[in-house]
Amino acid sequence: MRFFDLLRLIFGNLSRRKARVALTAIGVVIGTAAVVILVSLAIGLQRNANEQLYGIGDLTQIQVMPSFGEGPVMVGPGGGGGGGGGSSQTKLLTNQALEELRAIPGVEWVSPREFLWSGGMVRYRKLEGWANIIGVDVKDLADLGFETVQGDTALGRTTIVVGPMVANNFYDPRLRPGQEPPPPPDLYDQQIQFIISKWDAQGNETRKNLSLRVTGVLKETRGESDWTIYMPLEQVKALNEWSQNRRINYNKEGYSQVIVKVRDVNQVLDIADQITEMGYQAYTPQSFVQGINNFYIILQVIFGGVGAIALLVAAIGIANTMAMSILERTREIGLMKAVGATNRDVLAIFLGEASGIGFIGGLGGVIIGWLAGQVINVMAVVYLSNQAGQQGGIPPSVAVYTPIWLPVFALVFSTLIGMLSGLYPALRAATMIPVLALKYE
Amino acid sequence: MNQAFIRVSGLKKYYQMGGTTVRALDGVDLEIEPHSFTVVMGPSGSGKSTLLYLLGGLDRATAGEIWVDGQSLNEVDENSLALFRRRTIGFVFQSFNLIPSMTARENVAFPMQFAGVNPRRRDEQADFLLKQVGLGDRALHRPTELSGGQQQRVAIARALVNDPKLILADEPTGNLDTASGAAIMQLLSDLHRSGRTVLVVTHDTRMMRFATRQIYLLDGRVVSEAEYQSAVLEVAQPS
Repeated sequence: MRFFDLLRLIFGNLSRRKARVALTAIGVVIGTAAVVILVSLAIGLQRNANEQLYGIGDLTQIQVMPSFGEGPVMVGPGGGGGGGGGSSQTKLLTNQALEELRAIPGVEWVSPREFLWSGGMVRYRKLEGWANIIGVDVKDLADLGFETVQGDTALGRTTIVVGPMVANNFYDPRLRPGQEPPPPPDLYDQQIQFIISKWDAQGNETRKNLSLRVTGVLKETRGESDWTIYMPLEQVKALNEWSQNRRINYNKEGYSQVIVKVRDVNQVLDIADQITEMGYQAYTPQSFVQGINNFYIILQVIFGGVGAIALLVAAIGIANTMAMSILERTREIGLMKAVGATNRDVLAIFLGEASGIGFIGGLGGVIIGWLAGQVINVMAVVYLSNQAGQQGGIPPSVAVYTPIWLPVFALVFSTLIGMLSGLYPALRAATMIPVLALKYE
Repeated sequence: MNQAFIRVSGLKKYYQMGGTTVRALDGVDLEIEPHSFTVVMGPSGSGKSTLLYLLGGLDRATAGEIWVDGQSLNEVDENSLALFRRRTIGFVFQSFNLIPSMTARENVAFPMQFAGVNPRRRDEQADFLLKQVGLGDRALHRPTELSGGQQQRVAIARALVNDPKLILADEPTGNLDTASGAAIMQLLSDLHRSGRTVLVVTHDTRMMRFATRQIYLLDGRVVSEAEYQSAVLEVAQPS
């Protein structure tokens, strides 16, 4: 039998019994719509959670810190990443270690960072503040994936790029109680005074005063960078050497932190594990995100399962309809066999009809589920952004999200359910003894 | 020495019915020549329909052998039996068995779907056969819009659609008035004259006029005409 003839026959048979097919399909519509809405909701929740989570940093970056082992801290030639060290041994982030990290497959780049060890005070006009100062080994912060809202990401000797929250750290030291604090200053393109101090053995303070221009304000990441002032690595090194009164040999002492950028987000955990095995401390938000994602996947399965129960009920409806239909059409089955239909032909026709009911229901369910999702979205997003507005949080962009695979999957699944529930009736039809079918009253 | 188109030996068909065994056919031996018009006569329950269905491969025998057109029907699987019905047999039933939702043309063309014939060829063949049975102008009518005689003619056209060698008709005039019945008999006779082997199971004694061979069945056995007549008369005599 030709496939097209089969389809036409199935369609013809289904359209003969429109009301019954429609009633049976409504069950499937409800089940499929439930699956689509509930899974979309779970995915929407996950997306929201992830949107908030992306604040903890770029998920393809691993922070690597030196490990000082369990025994006495040894800072010496042996600690520099020489061979054979277990995790209990001190592992420092020397230049050699950087090469080791670069050699890991899947690593895009490795960039050391250094904090300013001594405290630094920043002053802008009459406002003062403390800031977290990080030196980075790039000429342009864009290389580390940063974007700005004002100015650009290039770093220079007398310029700095600041996080968007840095301005909030400024306060007026002469502010009297009860006085309204001044609003955070707009730092972009302003000159900032930067003062660091050191003390000698006698307790005499020496100050160093730098005047730096803010040439860029970073986009909010809801992470560390929001509160950070970025400088070139060399400058932070020089300031650290000045405050320590000695030269620092990075080949021996290592950097305090290295950022390892991974090409593919799926490799992050593997590479973090490798780095840990090499003896360093590796931290990635990915492991945290992974845990959260696992939770949402379980949620999707549970929600999908609730919808699937509705589909199961619908499947029983299809089986019932098909069983009835086969009883009514017993003589027709006998005739089909008499004129030369094989058991396979009969099976295909009835399986096709059952799948057809599943498909029609699935199509309806997908459309209704998707539309309902859009309606929920509009209502929920308005409500949630009001809530978020009151609480000062960030409003979610979606409540229900339907990825393209979901309706496709739901449609295939409902068709498959239809086919499965038609299996028993169709097998019965296919294996009927023709003469008994023909004589059936 | 296998001249016969149909050869049946020791054919038995038993049914279980509520704990008792019904012997529908109880040892039938037959040979039917090609291009013959055979009429099988017998009262209700004599096993004549059972014989017809066994010959057409719609059922399986309890014992005995059936050969049709050189093919044994005993040892073939379901699929081969379906192919045998498709290629060799054309069935005509008492109650027509047309599909109500299909037009006359679609009903006639229906068996060709299973044979994988392309749609254009199917329609041409169906129209040709409908014309042959005198219903060329009724191709788009549904069974409910046709008389009993017309429906049976559609059914005969359907039986012919795969060009079978053997036409098996089960009481083809049973549901028809006298005139329509006569027309159907004539049609079957025409098929016989065009070279097909025809086997008709009937009560209708008018069919005898067209027959080249008569078979009488009583209680699942083939009997002679004399035996049959006396048995029928015996029943007919008031006691």
